[in-house]
Amino acid sequence: MNKQKLPFSLLIVPLLLLPSCGGKKTEVSEQPSEAPSGAQPTPIDQSTVAAITGKVVFQGVKPKLARIMMDQDPVCVQKHSGAVYPEDGEMNSNGTLPNVFVYVKEGAEKYTFSAPTDPVVLDQNGCVYKPHVLGIQVGQDLHIISSDPTTHNIHPMPKNNREWNESQGPGAAPLEKKFARSEIMIPVKCNQHPWMRAYVGVTKNPFFSVTGSDGTFTIKGLPPGDYTIEAWTATYGTQEQKVTVGSKETKTLDFTFKPS
Amino acid sequence: MAPDNPEKDPLVNQSLAGIYFISAILLILVFGWSLYDELFGLRPWKDYERLFIGHYRAFLQKEIPKQRAREKAVQESPEYQSMKKQLEDVQVSIKPQLADVQRRISFLDDQLQVVMDRATDARAQVTSQLYQIEHTSARGEKESLLQNLDMFKRGPFVVHLPTEDGNGKTTKKSYDYEQLQAEFVHLQDEKGQLMARQATILRPVSDLRAKTENYVKNHLEGLTVDQIQGLVAKTEAFTIEIRQINNPDAGLVDRCESCHLGIREPVVLTRKDLGGRDKDPRTAAFTSHPDLELLKIHDPEKFGCTPCHNGNGMQLDSVEQAHGEYEHWLWPLYQRENFEAGCQQCHAADMVVDHAPVLSTGKDLFQWRGCAGCHRFQGYDSEPEDVLATGKQIDQLGTERAEKQRNIQRAIQQGDQAPDDETARKFYTQADALRVSVSETDMRIGQLEVQTKNLLMGMKKIGPDLKEVRVKIRPAWVPVWINNPHAWRPTTRMPRFRLDREEVEAISAFIWQSGLDVNLPHQPPGDPAKGKESVETRGCLACHSVGEGSKAVGGWFAANLTRVGEKDNYDFLVRWVHNPRERTRPYCAYEKRDLTEQDYKKHSLPFVFDFDHSKCPNDGHELVVEQMTVMPNLRLSWQDSRDIASYLLTLRQKDPASYPKAPFLGDSALKSKGRVLVLRYGCAGCHEIAGLEDEGRIGTELTAEGSKPLEQIDFALYVGEARREGWYTHKGFFERKLAKPEMFDKGRIKPEPELLRMPDFFEPQSDEVTRGMADLSPEAKEQIVALTTFLMGSVNSQYPRRYFYLPEDLRRDIQEGWWVVKKYNCIGCHQFKVGQDSVLMGLARYQTPEGKDQLPPKLLTEGARVNPEWLRRFLWNPAMNDTETDRNGVRSYLKVRMPTFYFSPIELRKLVRFFQALSSQPMPYIPPKLEPLTGRELEMARALFTSRGAPCLKCHATGDAAHDRFATAPNFLLAHDRLKPDWTKHWILDPAMISPGTAMPSGLFKQAEDRWVFAGPTPSLFKGYGGDHADLLVRYMFEITPEEQRRLVGMSAGALKAGSPKKPGRTVSGLGRPLVSVAAMHGR
Repeated sequence: MNKQKLPFSLLIVPLLLLPSCGGKKTEVSEQPSEAPSGAQPTPIDQSTVAAITGKVVFQGVKPKLARIMMDQDPVCVQKHSGAVYPEDGEMNSNGTLPNVFVYVKEGAEKYTFSAPTDPVVLDQNGCVYKPHVLGIQVGQDLHIISSDPTTHNIHPMPKNNREWNESQGPGAAPLEKKFARSEIMIPVKCNQHPWMRAYVGVTKNPFFSVTGSDGTFTIKGLPPGDYTIEAWTATYGTQEQKVTVGSKETKTLDFTFKPS
Repeated sequence: MAPDNPEKDPLVNQSLAGIYFISAILLILVFGWSLYDELFGLRPWKDYERLFIGHYRAFLQKEIPKQRAREKAVQESPEYQSMKKQLEDVQVSIKPQLADVQRRISFLDDQLQVVMDRATDARAQVTSQLYQIEHTSARGEKESLLQNLDMFKRGPFVVHLPTEDGNGKTTKKSYDYEQLQAEFVHLQDEKGQLMARQATILRPVSDLRAKTENYVKNHLEGLTVDQIQGLVAKTEAFTIEIRQINNPDAGLVDRCESCHLGIREPVVLTRKDLGGRDKDPRTAAFTSHPDLELLKIHDPEKFGCTPCHNGNGMQLDSVEQAHGEYEHWLWPLYQRENFEAGCQQCHAADMVVDHAPVLSTGKDLFQWRGCAGCHRFQGYDSEPEDVLATGKQIDQLGTERAEKQRNIQRAIQQGDQAPDDETARKFYTQADALRVSVSETDMRIGQLEVQTKNLLMGMKKIGPDLKEVRVKIRPAWVPVWINNPHAWRPTTRMPRFRLDREEVEAISAFIWQSGLDVNLPHQPPGDPAKGKESVETRGCLACHSVGEGSKAVGGWFAANLTRVGEKDNYDFLVRWVHNPRERTRPYCAYEKRDLTEQDYKKHSLPFVFDFDHSKCPNDGHELVVEQMTVMPNLRLSWQDSRDIASYLLTLRQKDPASYPKAPFLGDSALKSKGRVLVLRYGCAGCHEIAGLEDEGRIGTELTAEGSKPLEQIDFALYVGEARREGWYTHKGFFERKLAKPEMFDKGRIKPEPELLRMPDFFEPQSDEVTRGMADLSPEAKEQIVALTTFLMGSVNSQYPRRYFYLPEDLRRDIQEGWWVVKKYNCIGCHQFKVGQDSVLMGLARYQTPEGKDQLPPKLLTEGARVNPEWLRRFLWNPAMNDTETDRNGVRSYLKVRMPTFYFSPIELRKLVRFFQALSSQPMPYIPPKLEPLTGRELEMARALFTSRGAPCLKCHATGDAAHDRFATAPNFLLAHDRLKPDWTKHWILDPAMISPGTAMPSGLFKQAEDRWVFAGPTPSLFKGYGGDHADLLVRYMFEITPEEQRRLVGMSAGALKAGSPKKPGRTVSGLGRPLVSVAAMHGR
């Protein structure tokens, strides 16, 4: 039986991986640009807005991460062709850090923003959350979908928001959720696949960005002023920098993290 | 005197007019003054009432438009609108039907009117004729009357029945008597039916109307506009008068509300609402009661104000007098920081008082600080007294028994000698009755003996057993500690006894020499790194802390372990960690000594003493077989215990060898001096000390200390000063006595043994004695405030006992249970109420998502969750296994260990009842009978359990080691004995409703009409099944056997190996390859 199984599995694995690869690509590129577009109903003069861009560098040797063993659920194993490693603590090949949540911690309090109407999507694919780190505005819709033919449960563990924990079976309708209070960061887990982990940063403003595989971030649409920018990582702590941006300026701001 | 100069006539020459005039003026002034006082001066409350009503009315009027806007917002919400629309639609849709029914009713009414008149009239006539017939004796007359009646009944009775509603036409109908009555009943019946029909038609309307009204009520905060307008109307009718609560039942007259007018108003009033803080200081009196919930529980009409707040409720002359803040009133208003003292007088029997956190802390501290070691306080540490009382009862019953025995003998004798058989039988019956009564007494005595044993089990000492001092402690540490415990361990509850060097040495020597001199088995060393891990994960930190000052991590209930390595012996520590209840020797209270191996040998018994071997081999009396500590047995292996002990010994700030040697410990000359001091300071109140086991408490009883007359309280030389400075009160005394007891010795000339013995629990920075708490740390102040509050409230109440909180229903179980929960610090690990976080919940380790899953379970609905009989067994042995005890019986996946507390049966009973009562569960519990699964249902449940859609076995343990590596939830095998089916169903439908934050997800089931169905894809077997899926799973869970579980594990393991993402029993479309079918898997 196992012998017969082999060619079938080989056939189906790449098929299953295809959509997920594509999905990942769009997610990563969409995430930073999508968020600031939500900042319409504010008294911000769009002709003067500035931007902050930069990269998050890791100073140290590439950390060795323990391989995730998914064999308690074969569905998860099948979705991956090779070994899977945790995304927490991961380093990009160019010496930068992915999955760093960079956001305006202080300085934007005087502006109010209504939640964007586009939802943020969190996908469960191959028993891994895509994206691993995401930002969302207070009151914005979060659509949680599952591309896995297994049952997940989505269990955010916030401090300031209400905690919930809901089951999502294979093929179940997306869960639609909102967070009512800002919180950096809300860890999300699946109790049935304990390695699954996502982080949700809930902010009152649209000024946040998550670094991707090149370790860069861009925060657009900032009105000129003084800001405290914080970079959050799951494993290496947080760092903040004060910055002043002028009208239409594009400021560069780099963060450097060291092994904890 | 010259004669020509006659004496002047005073009447003529002396005028008193001036004096009269002045007097008259004075009189008028005084009269005016008295009038003024009567109307204004002594009636300050009148001004308060005027001031209040103005502000209040203004506030309400401002509130109306605001509330109207809010109401409008609610009414404009789409939900409300749709409901309103629905209501209107229904009203329209039922209109024709309703009109038809109502028309028919009114038509019937018209007909009924006519028929009723005729029918009742006829019946009255028949009745009166019958009466006549019955009362007539002459036969002839009777018959003629009967004939008349017959005639009358034949009628005809003519009625003009209206034909159609409202047109005035009638038809003539004629009936005989029976027909007329039948027609009347028929019409009534028809009307009844129509009325019922009308109600049915109208039901959707009334339901919807109630729904819309409720919607507004639920979505609108505070009162409706109509209600506010009602309040405004009430203010118009406001009169200036004394407002008082008069409850003669409790001898209560409280006029407080003459000034505190807003206290019970249905709107919440703040100072801001009443003109603001700066406008008039008097408006402070008008705010609402800060905890209206409390007033709901304690109806002010019954409880008044002063029973809780103190003060002089009848007084109205001035604020000071009303608040009782003057010399002639003994019970001044409780100050803000102590106001919860008022709860204590009725809630003395409670360990935990809701709404009163300060008082509850005070109650905790009284226990934790060991106050009850010296001071009796009813309810605290009651076991020793109960043992004595039980002993007395046993003695008394013994006497009664002997007397009954004598009476039996006498009765038998009298029977033997009786003159006739009947009398003899009477005496023999009497003897038999007495014999039965003796056996009842025996049973009762037996119960009391068990009770004694149980009480002994629950008997604890606040401090460690000093008989073990030589086994446990490094000698050089003893005098250092006794000299000043606070200096060595600032957080300790052991107080400082103001001792000089000689006294320290004498006490040390006595304690050292009265300790047992034995050698414990030598223990090989352990691994400190593993020990550290265990201390941090096994739950030790729920009670103990490690680290000093602000760096301390862990609970406050038990000792801070930071310097344990400087004082303890390794071999002892290993035994202690392994089982802290283990004693070196059992103590026989009858012989008043610790038994040795010899005592057992004499009777050829093994030297074994535990709860199953608790009788003295010499005389059969109950022994003390365990250490009197509340620290439980964590059931760790010897290796784990060695690791932990090794780690604890690394906790030290300096080398134990650097302590100065204490050669005097062995000086036998010091022993008797030390004994005198130990007796004087009452050390045996908190410690077990050889030879002093029966010593009583040395302090004064504090049960009613708050109402002790001030004259009887020892202010020593401070009476004058206290009066001048305003602390000649219970509060002033308690605070100072707790902060620095020795201040009351100042200036007194007394020999040393008569100096105050109360030790220092806190360390004030200065000698400025009268400043009370001024020089204490904030934590110390907080503790003193709590203790003072507790003592102030502890009074001999003047109110009837029925006002006290002494419930006799489930609430009593809750009341009694809290004492046990607090005694063993269950709240260090468990959450009982939402918002009451356990110590462990606050530790950094348990903040991460992984950490949260490692927390001990929340016990929010424990009583509804578990079968009480199971709970009793679990609490007695949480390993749920007699031989393998190094494990958790339920949550095997938790590192933190539910320890064995060796609760006495009394405590077990209280705890089980406590949990049941908290969840309003009746006792005893009678498990409901569950419908056994049919063959098909069994297959279905199995299929669902192993399907991809139902992930039960991913988290729940199965007993299979490989599988249980990932388990985060209990084994289903436990369900049958442990759980209640009702609760289980609620749980699987929405676990977050029961335990917020649980790892078990919600949304596993969805509602489909009147049943719950599984939310994920269901196996094909479910097609056509009309039952409730949640019920099905619950029934299955309660039926699972070990065999069935192995089968389940096999099935899912099979699925794992097959590696198929597809559901069983289906084929993969396109490939045409059949996968393993459910039936095939069952066949394995």
